Amino acid sequence: MNKGKYYPLFVAIGIFLVLFIFGKFAQGMWEPVALIMFYVAVGEAFNVFLGFTGYVNFGYVVFMGLGSYGMALVVSSSSMAGLGPWILIPGFLFAAIMAGILAAGVGAIALRLRGAYFAIATIGVNQGVKFFIEGAKIWGGSEGIIISKPLKVALGPHLANAVTTFWADFLVFMIAILAAVITIVFLHTRLGYGLIALREDEDAARVMGVNTTKYKNIAFLVSSILAALVGATAWCLKTTYVFPDDVFALSYTVDAIVIVMMGGTGTLLGPVVGGLIYGILKYWLGILLPGFQLLILAPFIIIIIILFPEGIVGVLKKRVRGKKLEKFIA
Amino acid sequence: MSLLELKGVTKRFGGLVAVDHVDLVINEGERLGIVGTNGSGKTTLYNLISGVYTCDEGSILLEGLDITNMPAYKRAHLGLARSFQIPRPFGQITVRENVAIGALFGTLIGEIGEDEALEIGEYYLEKVGLYPKRNEIANALTPIEKKLMEVARALSMKPRLVLLDEAMAGMNPKDIDRIVEIINKIHEEEKISIVSMVEHIMRAVVNFAERVVVMNQGKKIADAPTQEALNDQKVIDVYLGRFALEEQNA
Ligand SMILES: Nc1ncnc2c1ncn2[C@@H]1O[C@H](COP(=O)(O)OP(=O)(O)OP(=O)(O)O)[C@@H](O)[C@H]1O
Ligand SMILES: [Mg+2]
Repeated sequence: MNKGKYYPLFVAIGIFLVLFIFGKFAQGMWEPVALIMFYVAVGEAFNVFLGFTGYVNFGYVVFMGLGSYGMALVVSSSSMAGLGPWILIPGFLFAAIMAGILAAGVGAIALRLRGAYFAIATIGVNQGVKFFIEGAKIWGGSEGIIISKPLKVALGPHLANAVTTFWADFLVFMIAILAAVITIVFLHTRLGYGLIALREDEDAARVMGVNTTKYKNIAFLVSSILAALVGATAWCLKTTYVFPDDVFALSYTVDAIVIVMMGGTGTLLGPVVGGLIYGILKYWLGILLPGFQLLILAPFIIIIIILFPEGIVGVLKKRVRGKKLEKFIA
Repeated sequence: MSLLELKGVTKRFGGLVAVDHVDLVINEGERLGIVGTNGSGKTTLYNLISGVYTCDEGSILLEGLDITNMPAYKRAHLGLARSFQIPRPFGQITVRENVAIGALFGTLIGEIGEDEALEIGEYYLEKVGLYPKRNEIANALTPIEKKLMEVARALSMKPRLVLLDEAMAGMNPKDIDRIVEIINKIHEEEKISIVSMVEHIMRAVVNFAERVVVMNQGKKIADAPTQEALNDQKVIDVYLGRFALEEQNA
């Protein structure tokens, strides 16, 4: 067994550690670091599906949204208030289950479609779920769910405050690590090889023995559940509210696509690098040139994608082929 | 016992009958050649056997097991492997990984580990003469190398039956002789059945096949030991006339 396979994972975790320390100890840097990590985690979760199957899940944000609803529903249910901080465990579980059920259903139907049809179908799912929540007036309808009070009841005011200012972001770090571990495992196991084969040529993969339908569904499910975990903490716990207009905004899917393409699809470090750059730009352009971010961001992204058609890490990987650095980049 | 048996297999595309009530038996360990003019239904026949398409009529039996409606990936696990007429490499990964995927998925889960699969990949690349290119990205190979990689990929699946779709088209006589030699050697060592479509390439037909099936407009018009099939008057009429011309021109 070749341990060198896992070096890129340590590179990713090293980057997270540096970010964490910087955010924790540099004055006023925690919020920007948390935003960057949010984009990294979103990109990683998205990459598990896009990077390994080549399918674009435009409705990806629906799983982040459902995840934040899952957490909100658990935290605001009075029957669970006695759990104290442990309430977060059923919260995450419920987020994962809700996203998992939707992903299994959508996957079973939409993953029979190829390419563009799949992308369009997933947009439909996102809009459908949003309009259903608003129209049927479930889970607070268009008013959403506000959990600041129940969170204080469950955790006490002090801890509730610590959750929104620190632990919610800390958990994003944990999810980013989880996603990186899943990615490296995918890259080196039968499952990942099967996925890469179907990404490269679905028909050839099938006649070579890959149960493409099963593999696509697994990747879709894993990616969706990771998205739900990010939504549950980065949105629900951090902001203490869930509004359908916010958590089903398609612009988050676009963020994820840009991050993954810029960093390098199907690579472990791609979404990390992509999320880092995207987060930094978005944050500081928002401060320096409020209202004009997109004017700078859009051309910048276009230039990067032209310079690095396979993403920054994709191109880097080619450059280091056969060199000592090779085993650190994946 | 026959390894594969086709009974009245038919495939239509709209009004066109691409494969028309074909009966065919392939025996264990056999080297069968399939020839036929362009559009005579050879590739479609492969697509039906490997499960890319399903038959409109007829049935396919693998060692007596009805696989007519079995999904392609399950057929692969039972020992069917093929190459494609137009190579279909997994372009963005290495040549070695391409072949390793064959080894991993030609067998059932758990039979072969990832590291072992990579070793098997190298073994077959060595056999087809692509070992020096093992770490290149598959897209960087020349068309002929891609075809050779497909042969290695099919063989790495531990197949009972390998279907080669014009693996030698576009090659010069020296390459053809080399590939025929490689295929014959592998056939001997691995005791698998190999069906190869060889289209116009007479020297490959004669050097490779024990038996030849001739297709014309979706129908099987001859099925006999190589020399006999090539001397059949029907075959000469529809097909060999062209051979003679091309051999002259070459
Ligand atoms: N997917 C398809 N849709 C419609 N028609 C098809 C399809 N595949 C094949 N055909 C038609 O079926 C007939 C048989 O084609 P096939 O590819 O099997 O021939 P072939 O013997 O392999 O020819 P070649 O020597 O050119 O490879 C042709 O007329 C072809 O145009
Ligand atoms: Mg053909």
